[in-house]
Amino acid sequence: MGVYYSLQRLLKTRMWSDKLSWIHFWSWQVVILCAAYTLPMGMTTSSEYAELIWPVDLLITLVWVVFGINMFGTILTRRENHLYVAIWFYIATWVTVAVLHIVRSIELPVTFTQSYPLFSGVQDALVQWWYGHNAVAFFLTTPYLGMMYYFLPKAANRPVYSYKLSIIHFWALIFIYIWAGPHHLLYSSMPDWVQSLGTVFSIMLIAPSWGGMLNGLLTLRGAWDRVRQDPVLKFMVVAVTAYGMATFEGPMLSIKSINAISHFTDWTIAHVHVGALGWNGFLTFGALYWLWPRIYRTELYSRQLANVHFWLGTLGIIFYAVPLYWAGWTQAMMWKEFTPEGTLAWGNFLDTVKHIIPMYAMRVVGGTLFFIGVLLGVYNLYKTAGQGTFMANEPAEAPARERATADEPSGQYWHRWIERRPIQMLLWSTILIAIGGIVQIIPMVFIESQVPKISTVRPYTPLELTGRDIYIREGCVGCHSQMIRPFRDETVRYGEYSKSGEYIYDRPFLWGSKRTGPDLWREGGRNLDIWHFNHMMDPRTTSPGSIMPPYPHLTDQVLDLKDLPAKITALRKLGTPYPRDFEKYAIANAQEQAKGVAKTLGEQESKLKDQGLEDKEIVAIIAYLQRLGTDIKVQPTTNQ
Amino acid sequence: MKSKKYTGTLLFMAMAFAGWSQAVQSTAPTATTEAQQLPDIMTIILAVAGSVLFIVAMIYVVKVNQFLYKKVLELEAQKSGAILPAEAEASAATGDSFWTRMRKQYWEDAVPIEHEGEITFHHAYDGIRELDNRLPPWWVNMFVLTIIWAVGYMYYYHWGGDGPSSIERYNTEMADAKKSMSIALAGKANAVDESNVEAITDSGALGEGELIYKNSCAVCHGQKGEGGIGPNFADAYWLHGGGIKNIFKTIKYGVPEKGMISWQSQLRPSDMQKVASYILSLQGTNPPNQKDPQGVIWNEEGETQDPSATPPAGQTEQPADSK
Repeated sequence: MGVYYSLQRLLKTRMWSDKLSWIHFWSWQVVILCAAYTLPMGMTTSSEYAELIWPVDLLITLVWVVFGINMFGTILTRRENHLYVAIWFYIATWVTVAVLHIVRSIELPVTFTQSYPLFSGVQDALVQWWYGHNAVAFFLTTPYLGMMYYFLPKAANRPVYSYKLSIIHFWALIFIYIWAGPHHLLYSSMPDWVQSLGTVFSIMLIAPSWGGMLNGLLTLRGAWDRVRQDPVLKFMVVAVTAYGMATFEGPMLSIKSINAISHFTDWTIAHVHVGALGWNGFLTFGALYWLWPRIYRTELYSRQLANVHFWLGTLGIIFYAVPLYWAGWTQAMMWKEFTPEGTLAWGNFLDTVKHIIPMYAMRVVGGTLFFIGVLLGVYNLYKTAGQGTFMANEPAEAPARERATADEPSGQYWHRWIERRPIQMLLWSTILIAIGGIVQIIPMVFIESQVPKISTVRPYTPLELTGRDIYIREGCVGCHSQMIRPFRDETVRYGEYSKSGEYIYDRPFLWGSKRTGPDLWREGGRNLDIWHFNHMMDPRTTSPGSIMPPYPHLTDQVLDLKDLPAKITALRKLGTPYPRDFEKYAIANAQEQAKGVAKTLGEQESKLKDQGLEDKEIVAIIAYLQRLGTDIKVQPTTNQ
Repeated sequence: MKSKKYTGTLLFMAMAFAGWSQAVQSTAPTATTEAQQLPDIMTIILAVAGSVLFIVAMIYVVKVNQFLYKKVLELEAQKSGAILPAEAEASAATGDSFWTRMRKQYWEDAVPIEHEGEITFHHAYDGIRELDNRLPPWWVNMFVLTIIWAVGYMYYYHWGGDGPSSIERYNTEMADAKKSMSIALAGKANAVDESNVEAITDSGALGEGELIYKNSCAVCHGQKGEGGIGPNFADAYWLHGGGIKNIFKTIKYGVPEKGMISWQSQLRPSDMQKVASYILSLQGTNPPNQKDPQGVIWNEEGETQDPSATPPAGQTEQPADSK
C-alpha cells in the first residue's frame, strides 16, 4: 500500500489501472489464504521462503505480472520527468523478485500438490539460497528502502541528505546483494570458492546497506527534537537503526569463523527477527501512523497509545532477540565443548536443548509484548478511521509531462539521464542483478567436477522416497538438519562429514538451517527400527526430556503408494537413473520393503507382530531414516 | 572542486590496492606449504600491517606534497599579486586546523544546516527535496576497505595465497585434537581400555556409574537393568560376552548392527569403567518386568581366563570381534 500511495504522488498521476490494482490486492489475499491452508496441511516444497506448492507459485507469478504491468503503466504515463529514488528501488524490487521466483520455482509437477525441483542436492541448495537470501533482500529490503525514501522525509519534513549517496548506494546494493546467497551454506558441501564469494560479497555489502541507513538518519538532521515527540518519527528511527544493525550483523555472520558458531543455532533466528520486527515492522507502523490520518482527513486518535505501542514493540524486540542471542551462543559453545580426554562434554544433544529452554520462554514474552503492541496499533487506527471521513480520491492536477528535450541543462548530474528512462533503468537493473547469480550458478550446474561423484551413492528406493516425502510433509527439516560440517565436534557427534556427491539424488535438498534437534544425515543404522517406532509414538520414551512433538498418526495413516509411478517417472526425467520401466514395479518394490520393515519391528517387539504395520506410513519414514547417509559406508562391489 | 575530491578517492583506492598486493606478494613466499597455524596467522598479520603502513606512508607523502604545492602557489600568487584560484582561496580562507581538515577529508563533511539552501536541488518530488551533500568520507573509505579486504581474501584462499581449504583446516583440527587427547589420556585413571580394565567395587565409583547408567543407558535397558529395547542386565545371559572386559568393549565400540551405539565419544574411559562395573553389579538383582533372556550364559570361567592367552574352545561361542 505504501508503494501504491507513494507511487501515485511521486509520479503525479493516477495508477494506470484501478482494476489491476484491485486484482492485485484480492489475488494476493488469495495467495495468503492458500498459504494458510496448504502449509499446515503439509503441502510444501520445503524450500525456505519458497515453500508454497506449484499451483500457488503460478498464481504468485500472475499476481506479480499484474503488479508489474500496473506499475510500469503508471510510470510510463507519469507527469514527472524524473524518477525519484524510491521508484528506482520499486523497479529493482519488481524485476529481481520476478527473476528469483521464476528460477526457484522451476519444478516438475508430479501431482496437483507435489513437484520435484529441477536441480538436486548441492545445486538445489545453491539456487535455493541465491533465491532465499535475495527474496529477503528484494522483498523486504529494497521496497522498504523505497518506502523509507518517501515516508521519512515526508514525516520529518526535511530534505533528503544526499542525492549522490542515493545513487551510489542504490546501484552498489542491487549489484552486490545478489552474490551473497552462499553465506547460508558456509562449511557445507558447497565448493569452497562459492562459499568464499558469499563471504566477501557479504562484507562488501556493509557500506551499500548502510548508505540507506545514513541517508535516512542524516535526513533527520535538524529534526531530532521532533523525534522525541512524534511517534511516527520514533518508529522510523528505530526501524532504520534496526536495519543498520541487521545489515552489519549479517556480514559478520558471513565470516566463516563466526558462522561456524552461529549457524544452526538461535543466533540466526535472533538476527532475522531484528530485521523483520525492527526494520520491516517498525517502518510499516511508522508509515501507517503517518498515512492513516491523512487518508481519513483527521488527527491520529491517540498519540499516547501510539507511544505505548512504540515502547511495547521496542521492548518486545529486545526481549525476543537478546535471549535468542544468548541461547544461540550457549548452545554452540556446548556443542563444541570437549573434555581434555577427547569426549564430548555434552554428548547427549538433549542436554544442550534443556539448557536453553528458559531463553525460549523469554522469547515468548518478547513476542507477546510485540503482538500486544500491534493490537493497540490496530485499535488506534480503527478509532482514527472512525472519527474521520475516508478520502477515496485526492483531487490532484498536474500538467502533462513535457517530452524531455535532448538538451538537458549542462552541469547536471549524469545520473539524471537514466532517471528519465524507466525502461533503461529496468534493463540495467536486470543486468546488474543477473551477473552474480550467473557467475555462481552456471559453473555449479554445468561443470561436473564441482560435485565429485561417489560410486556407491544410489537413488532412493520407492519406499524410502515415499518416506522422504512424508519427512517433508511433516516438516522435519524445520528442526533437523542433514548436513554434517567438517568440524571435530560434528564428526565425533554425528559421524563422517557430508560430501557433495552424497546428495545428488536429493530433490529437494533437505540440509536445513536450524538444529532444534540433532543432525540426521548419518542417522541410518544408528538406532534400531523399534527405537524409531517408539520415538515417533512418544519421543520422551527414548529421549527423556525431548521437546519433539509425538507423531502417532504415522502408525494410523495408510501408506499412499499410488503416486509412486508418477514420482519415479518425474525423477527419471530430471536425471535420477532409475532403470527402464522401473515405475511399473515401483509399488510392488515398496510393498516388499515395507513388509521387511514391519517384520523387523515385529521381531524387535513382540507386541507389534502382525499388526498390519506394513501398509502404514511409519514404515516408510523408518526406511528413509535408516537409509540416511549410509551410502558411503557401503563397500563398492566388484562386479563393475 | 567535486571532481578533484573524487580523484583523491580514486587515487587512494589505487594506492591502497597497489600497496596491499605488494605486501602480500612479498610475504607470501615466506609461508611454508604445510598447513601450520601460526605461520599462516603471521602471514596475514604481516600482510595487513604492511599494507596499512604502506597506505599511511603514501597518504602522508601525497598530503605533504599537496600542502607544499598549495603553499608554493600562495607564495607565487603573493609575489605576482595575482588573485588566488577560487579553490585554493576557499580552503585557505576557512582557516581550518589540521585536524578539522583531516576530519572533513576522511570522516564527515556535511554542509551545515544553515547553509543547506545552497546545495538544495531545484527539483522536488511531491514536496520532497534533495540535498547535494558529499558522500560521507568515512562511508566511502569503509566501502573501499571492504573491497580491498574482499580481494585480499579471495587472493589468500583461492587465487594464489595458501589459505587452507575447509577440509585442510578440519584435518589440522583433528590432528591437534589427537595430540592433546594423547597427553590428557596419559594420566593413569583414564588409561584403561578393554585389555586392562578391571571391575571396581568401591561404592563411590559405583554410585557415579549408576548416575551415568540412569542418564544414558536406562532408556533402552530399563531403570533397574530389566531390559527394554536393549537386553536384560540382571540375568546371567549375555549377547556379546559378560565380564568387565567384554562389557567395556561393547559400551566403547557399540554393536551398530543391533542398535547399540558407540559411547567412546561421550564417555571417558574411566566413566565407561564405572558404568560397566555398575552393570556387572546388577547381576542377580531380579528386578520386576524382566525381559526374556537373550544370548548365552556367561561362564565365569571364561572371564577368569586371560583373553590374551590362547583362547579355549569355549570362546568360539562369543560373537566375533569384527564388529
